[in-house]
Amino acid sequence: MLLLRRLRYLFKMSLAVSLRRALLLLLSGAIFILTVLYWNQGVIKTQSYNEAQLRPHLQKDRSSAPIPLEKSWTYKCDNDRCVRVNYNKNGANVKRVSFISCSMTCGDINIWPHPTSKSLVSGHTLRFSVEDVQLRLDTPHREVRKRLKLAFDVLVRQLRQIQQLEYAAPRAEEISSVSEPASKSTDGAASPLASGLFSSTFGSHRSGDLDSLHVKLSVHESGELDFNLDNDESYELATSFEHRRLTVHIRAKSFFGARHGLATLQQLIWYDDEERLLCTYASSLINDAPKFRYRGLMLDTSRHFFSVDAIKRTISAMGLAKLNRFHWHITDAQSFPYISRHYPELAEHGAYSDSETYSEQDVREVTEYAKIFGVQVLLEIDAPAHAGNGWDWGPKRGLGELSLCINQQPWSFYCGEPPCGQLNPKNNHTYLILQRLYEEFLQLTGPTDIFHLGGDEVNLDCWAQYFNDTDLRGLWCDFMLQSNARLKVANGNVAPKHVVVWSSALTNTKCLPNSQFVVQVWGGSTWQENYDLLDNGYNIIFSHVDAWYLDCGFGSWRATGDAACSPYRTWQNVYKHRPWERMRLDKKRRKQVLGGEACLWTEQVDEGQLDNRLWPRVAALAERLWSDPNDDHDFDVVPPEVFRRISVFRNRLVELGIKAEALFPKYCAQNPGECI
Amino acid sequence: MILNSCNRCYLTLLLCVAAAAAGSVPDDSGESGPTTRSKWLCDSTDLCLPEESLLPGEGHEQPRHRYESQRDCRLSCGKYGAIWPMPTGECSLSHDRVPFDPWKVRFNVVAPNEVTTQFLRETNRLFVSNLLKECIRNCTLAASKEVLVKATVTDSSLVLDWKTDESYMIVVRTTDKVSFVDIKAATVYGARFAFETLSNLVTGSVTNGLLLVSSARVTDQPVYPHRGLLLDTSRNFLPLRYIRNTLDAMAASKMNVLHWHVVDTHSFPLEITRVPEMQRYGAYSNAQTYSHTDALNLVKYARLRGIRIIMEIDGPSHAGSGWQWGPSAGLGNMSVCLNQSPWRNYCVQPPCGQLNPINDHMYAVLKEIFADIAELGAPEETIHMGGDEVFIPCWNRTEEITTQMKARGYDLSQESFLRLWSQFHQRNVKAWDDINLQMYPSVREPKPVILWSSKLTDPEYIEQMLPKERFIIQTWVAAQSPLNRELLRKGYRILISTKDAWYLDHGFWGNTQYYNWRKVYDNALPIDAPNNQKRQVLGGEVCMWSEYVDQNSLEARIWPRAGGAAERLWSNPKSSAYLAERRFYRYRERLIARGIHPDAVLPHWCVLHEGQCL
Repeated sequence: MLLLRRLRYLFKMSLAVSLRRALLLLLSGAIFILTVLYWNQGVIKTQSYNEAQLRPHLQKDRSSAPIPLEKSWTYKCDNDRCVRVNYNKNGANVKRVSFISCSMTCGDINIWPHPTSKSLVSGHTLRFSVEDVQLRLDTPHREVRKRLKLAFDVLVRQLRQIQQLEYAAPRAEEISSVSEPASKSTDGAASPLASGLFSSTFGSHRSGDLDSLHVKLSVHESGELDFNLDNDESYELATSFEHRRLTVHIRAKSFFGARHGLATLQQLIWYDDEERLLCTYASSLINDAPKFRYRGLMLDTSRHFFSVDAIKRTISAMGLAKLNRFHWHITDAQSFPYISRHYPELAEHGAYSDSETYSEQDVREVTEYAKIFGVQVLLEIDAPAHAGNGWDWGPKRGLGELSLCINQQPWSFYCGEPPCGQLNPKNNHTYLILQRLYEEFLQLTGPTDIFHLGGDEVNLDCWAQYFNDTDLRGLWCDFMLQSNARLKVANGNVAPKHVVVWSSALTNTKCLPNSQFVVQVWGGSTWQENYDLLDNGYNIIFSHVDAWYLDCGFGSWRATGDAACSPYRTWQNVYKHRPWERMRLDKKRRKQVLGGEACLWTEQVDEGQLDNRLWPRVAALAERLWSDPNDDHDFDVVPPEVFRRISVFRNRLVELGIKAEALFPKYCAQNPGECI
Repeated sequence: MILNSCNRCYLTLLLCVAAAAAGSVPDDSGESGPTTRSKWLCDSTDLCLPEESLLPGEGHEQPRHRYESQRDCRLSCGKYGAIWPMPTGECSLSHDRVPFDPWKVRFNVVAPNEVTTQFLRETNRLFVSNLLKECIRNCTLAASKEVLVKATVTDSSLVLDWKTDESYMIVVRTTDKVSFVDIKAATVYGARFAFETLSNLVTGSVTNGLLLVSSARVTDQPVYPHRGLLLDTSRNFLPLRYIRNTLDAMAASKMNVLHWHVVDTHSFPLEITRVPEMQRYGAYSNAQTYSHTDALNLVKYARLRGIRIIMEIDGPSHAGSGWQWGPSAGLGNMSVCLNQSPWRNYCVQPPCGQLNPINDHMYAVLKEIFADIAELGAPEETIHMGGDEVFIPCWNRTEEITTQMKARGYDLSQESFLRLWSQFHQRNVKAWDDINLQMYPSVREPKPVILWSSKLTDPEYIEQMLPKERFIIQTWVAAQSPLNRELLRKGYRILISTKDAWYLDHGFWGNTQYYNWRKVYDNALPIDAPNNQKRQVLGGEVCMWSEYVDQNSLEARIWPRAGGAAERLWSNPKSSAYLAERRFYRYRERLIARGIHPDAVLPHWCVLHEGQCL
């Protein structure tokens, strides 16, 4: 009403006639809006109830200002377990403890994978900002220096990303509610209020407990940067703290160890949403080295195409989990996305589309990126089987049939899954092309002591249509030996120390020399071949279908036939799989086990689900292979302590933009131990 | 007017979201590069094949039509072309195409009143935005034919419930200069489905613009009136953006009910304006909440896509977080067995919590929650009151309950507890009726509420416990269970969520098994007896429980499998998934185009090479 009167007054003061008209228009508009508002109010009023009668409880609570929800909980460490309790504002000087700070300081060290020999951290934590983190390099090797710098940059970039994440939608009341505990806090300069305000306005510089956090990386012994299975990956991390200066000293014998030290350091740091700063321990001491040398993940980019970004994202997560081999199953019978410099025809005929291809530049980009994360990229052209589309142009160029049975039907007679295609073992051009491809790969990835030749699921009936050799398996054997010979030529006449093939009928014979060949066992973990291969002296990489095949569990993708390998392997299945224990291997045979690898075949996965199909299950494998913790629990039971750590690790992945699958209801993450 | 402007902003929002989503992930459904240039043929077995793959002797009679791409071919190869779900009435599609520019489509709306006209205008806008997503290259086409779409609706009501007429008819015909699309439907919702079907008659052209089937005639109506999807936002929170995406995908699948299992023992993310404590004590965090306005907006968003949102407030079981504040407010224990351990003694799944049926304050609070829910929905909308997995030992171990029961002259037999439990539901239904009477006096009939099947709905007890006029039972038993049949025989209306086919969370925990889209598709529901006057089988729902799912894997877990259920519920086909295969793959690609991230179901090669991966 007051507004109306004022408007009238203005109106009476009246100016020109035209202005009057405009004012009249404005006035009527305002009246209209007011009426609408008033009317709306009325509607709401009629819908509400007689409050006093129905809501005795409301009278009490109305007065108190609403507090942000997450701030109404605080966490208490009770018996190595964080317990959620109501944060009582009246509880005077007790500071609210955020979940992550509790989780990082309660119980055993919260690092994934768990360090193997020694790990001590203090309960005393320090707050700092990413701007305080500085690098000090202590190594005589120039190239190592360069790469350590890159690895350190990754650490800082990711810490910055974490520090800048918005955890809760910032609302006005949030800051006001912080003020209460803050005013009672004795720690003047670094009070949460001050830091909260600083972080929102001035970027939180110098607001924590530290003036600087020095990361000192010492690598003296080896300047080695090429990947080989004998890389020393151990490291030692120790801190010293004085005069608001924290020094984290990582000592390693090689770049690889130092990088793992950085991955550990990253997990010793967390973002506290109460303090709005990064936190770490005032003192920590860790001695760590992996139990297995080969800790891999295989991705198939033929059944579905995956972008370079998706692959790089995957590799960065592998780095955090300290996995060290990315096995890139780059081609298969379905498609040939790799554009070879020597034979671009392969991709021209074999890629799904022009955009679904990898150029040499793409592969180099992935390889170089992976090196920063201590991950070696191993490219596999599967042969002789699993090679069809992309290999069909031979006759047109006068090179003869490079591959046989391409897309032949009925497929079940000639291959393991449609479409069929198996390289022609009697065409010299086929070998030449393979040799060129190997050459290109070796150039792109750099020197290596290990190379994957494929070699799985050969269907002899396919070849039997073309050749009347009585010994078709001999033909297969010859093929593998011939391609191995070509590999040697491609590698500058030096045979790689280890050549990997998939387990198959051939690896059960004496065809492949056990001095050089490594068998990647993908059959069942209880099969006899596991024992036989070890007895025959082969080195082994485990990829058991019944534990470490991540594509299983989604039913059959064909209209006919059963699902190949249901059910789904949960992260617990992956974690609890310890074939070396179950097989009771003696010391000698245990040494033949180089490690393990999880496999993601992509018949039923494309880029939209890549992250959640891989993570956090690959992380479970990472700890199995790095720390190989003892496990005397029943089938399917994982100790609460493991839940607690993998849950935090999963959150770290999500913070870094990896769309990892949920482990359980969030309630269970907020209340460790309650859901087991 | 206000509604109108809001709708517009939703549309922009939707477009932004969709564009962002589409930009971030490469479309795996891109046309095959090397084979794009060849022509495609639809062979006698309804396979789309590249011309050169057909040997001269193979096709006994040369097919007349050559298509520029596989997708072009798919538009009319097979009786139902690329329409998902398959129409139940007449369906004829021509093999000719009209290239057109989506910006040059003109709409004419004939509707009985302002609200229906407005609704259809919004439908037109959503339709165009969906068309634009189909463009492969540039959408604009200089030499475009004009496309005139006329939509006629006769019913003036916007009521959407189980009685709503969702049928429609669409006719496309093309003259020298113009293509006419004639849509006729009783309600706006029927007309909206016609627009969905129309979008299934369109695909991107390998040059510019879009291709439309030049003449078509489809009459269609759903078999079941309740075609739903359950979304659980309590076990893990789902941001609104992902719920909206889910609604978009449901709209594309002609599904019409989002069953929003918004709260559970784990968390209470929904704001109850009348009882703010619920959210304050129950949500995971500030960021993980839905405000009253959020929910209102979501209901509107769904409405424009022909979808009802039925909210579920589960009780007496599955209620813990959010209910803790009773003692401190002097209202006593509203939920009992809260977070008790060992949980196996107090509930089916941790954390525990079950409402206290002898606490009157609890009923008062529950009534206020219901009032909030009633305010969210349309006047005709009902509520789901849960009622599953009540764990009687919890009540039996709570002294205040057993004492009170004894005082009321009950023994502590199972029967007594069942009676207590049924009183809980009946009292709540009464409260629900009161609220509706006050809030929506125009709605005459009391609304039935939905309950899960449980011990209480056991055919042995149900008639004494739950009157059939007031309760619809949502069964969640295995396909083999006799429960559905028995409830039908007793005259109950049912919704079906077949546990061993439509539980989308299965296959990732415990002893459960994953159901692929074929299994979801082939899950046939019981049908009403032909002489039955009253509709008893209302339909069904696929269920997305979120224990092991959050936004990171939600879409892939639901889609495209829920699409299998969508066709089951709309068309109830006699044929198996095998015959729907290629239409289904096309449907999946359409979801991708619309910004959804469905799971992959088979190697891309097999999609491009039809009939080669049997």
